[in-house]
Amino acid sequence: MVDELKAKVRELLKNKQVELVIGYQRAADGVSVIPCFVENEKDAELLIWDAYCVYNLSGYLKDYPGKKIGIVAKDCDLRSIVVLLQENQLKRENLFIIEMECHGVIDEKRLKYDTQNQEINFAQKCKGCPSAKLSIADCVIKDKGEKRKTPDDYDEYEPIRKMEAKAISERLKFWQEEFSRCIRCYACRQVCPMCYCPKCVAEQTQPAWFSKGTNLEGNLSWNVTRAMHLAGRCIDCGECERACPVGIPLRDINKKIQKDVQELFSYQAGLSAEAKPLFACFDKKDPDDFIK
Amino acid sequence: MGKGCMLKITTKEDLTKILISLLNDFEIIGPKELSHKGIFYESITDLKDLHWGEGFTTEPVKKFFLSPSEYLFKGRYENGQEALEELPLPGNKRIIIGVRPCEAIGLSLLDKVFNAGEDQDKFYLNNRARTILVGLSCLKPDKNCFCTSVGGSPESSRGLDALISPVGNEFIIEIITERAKGIFESLGRNLNQEEVKLWGSDKKRREGSLNFRIKVSENLDNIFESEYWEKVSKSCISCGVCTFLCPTCHCFDLVDEKRKKLRCYDGCAFCDFTLEASGTNPRAARKERYRQRVFHKFDYFKKNFQENLCVGCGRCIRFCPVKMNIAEVVDKAPLV
Repeated sequence: MVDELKAKVRELLKNKQVELVIGYQRAADGVSVIPCFVENEKDAELLIWDAYCVYNLSGYLKDYPGKKIGIVAKDCDLRSIVVLLQENQLKRENLFIIEMECHGVIDEKRLKYDTQNQEINFAQKCKGCPSAKLSIADCVIKDKGEKRKTPDDYDEYEPIRKMEAKAISERLKFWQEEFSRCIRCYACRQVCPMCYCPKCVAEQTQPAWFSKGTNLEGNLSWNVTRAMHLAGRCIDCGECERACPVGIPLRDINKKIQKDVQELFSYQAGLSAEAKPLFACFDKKDPDDFIK
Repeated sequence: MGKGCMLKITTKEDLTKILISLLNDFEIIGPKELSHKGIFYESITDLKDLHWGEGFTTEPVKKFFLSPSEYLFKGRYENGQEALEELPLPGNKRIIIGVRPCEAIGLSLLDKVFNAGEDQDKFYLNNRARTILVGLSCLKPDKNCFCTSVGGSPESSRGLDALISPVGNEFIIEIITERAKGIFESLGRNLNQEEVKLWGSDKKRREGSLNFRIKVSENLDNIFESEYWEKVSKSCISCGVCTFLCPTCHCFDLVDEKRKKLRCYDGCAFCDFTLEASGTNPRAARKERYRQRVFHKFDYFKKNFQENLCVGCGRCIRFCPVKMNIAEVVDKAPLV
């Protein structure tokens, strides 16, 4: 697979179809994966592809406005590119998307704690990865290996349902405890391809929408606001939770909103580049029971 | 071992007993492992929770001295007059146990900034004065540790009141300060000369076991304008993980909130780090911000205080969402 990838990237750079390709490479420690910015044919040799290529690289695309960029993308990354296209953050003609057929990536945090069960070590997001194939890539590099199958009875919202079943006071207590650890490093925001506001609500000072301090008010407001801004936009790449250094289960909050959006509007983000963004359109059938 | 140090050897049981008895007078803070989250410094009420094993806390001990958000003072109206109200400083005594040697060195470096002649930060100094630091030497530094390249060691006792080193099933306690002497003096037995010798050679061996070594140049003057910074900062996502988790980063931002003045951590990676009220930002691109981080640590601070502002703990590498590696960046800096 990786040889095919390298050949494709060399070809793209040689033909000047793109100025830069963003992919993955091995770090100097020989284990970790780091983003790779390939600008010449020679550097294509650095590219790698395996289950450790976790990062969603589509967030880097906004750094190169007006340039023709190639990007190595998995299924989840493709969905985020779709949303960025829907929201006019990217120009399709400036992109060359190299889709890597993905059978799931590793969850390094779990790898550390559950060394026995290889299956568990795949990121949770991969288990419920929508099987519907997106056809927006310019080229697809196929994986000849055996596909991992999602069990038919797999319920991606199971943890959410469990949480919903709890009393509101219990839920509040759980999240207050989780958010009490938040150090406000904003890694969740910075790593998120959808968080591209030039000035984040958390940075505004006039007015300041919530406390900048690591207190309950500030932490709760920040985390809830972040999640709400992703309603109908989060494509479940799980990067926020992966990047969080203190281990807050951020994906669960996004997942809850994803579930609500699906139940209320039958909408799933990132599945069609032609569709209008959920909150950019209006339908008479939209639920309105909240208007009293 | 420094002059006037005392070496004791004891069992985990006896050490635990002493710590339990100290719970009456001190808050004991130490590393606790939280499943699927990592290791964190927590207030310990049950000594069973104390994590004696390998691994490093996610957050450094810094936060107990330089709070992520500190209320400095409060403004109020009194008889039509504005008045400033000081907030009371906490006075409870604390023992932080399980501090890694690199983090204690980090505090010694912060002392140079917050306890510098006339510039005394009363919040920081109050926290320093009310805290006893008991270190835990590192048996297994991980692949991101590079303390020996920046003047530290897995056995360093600098900045600590006492240092515990696990040896087999026992612990050797190096008692460094008078206040630690008051606590640990009665513990276990003294080491005999033979044991002291053995322990010394074991220390040396462990220091040598750190594979990740980098070269740190005297200054980086020549490469300020280098294209190198553009190249190495490309993958930076501009979050605050590296600075907030760094045991020595101490930049802060002052914020007014509800008539209180709040001092919060700030980080040079953030886009608005040096954003001025006029809208100008002298470090608008991440190249400039990342360069600032490297220069502050390995150039500016050294010019002011003759030391690097980095203790080689590896946190910024371990927790960077895209695994940027400051050690490698410094090591490979194209000096001319």
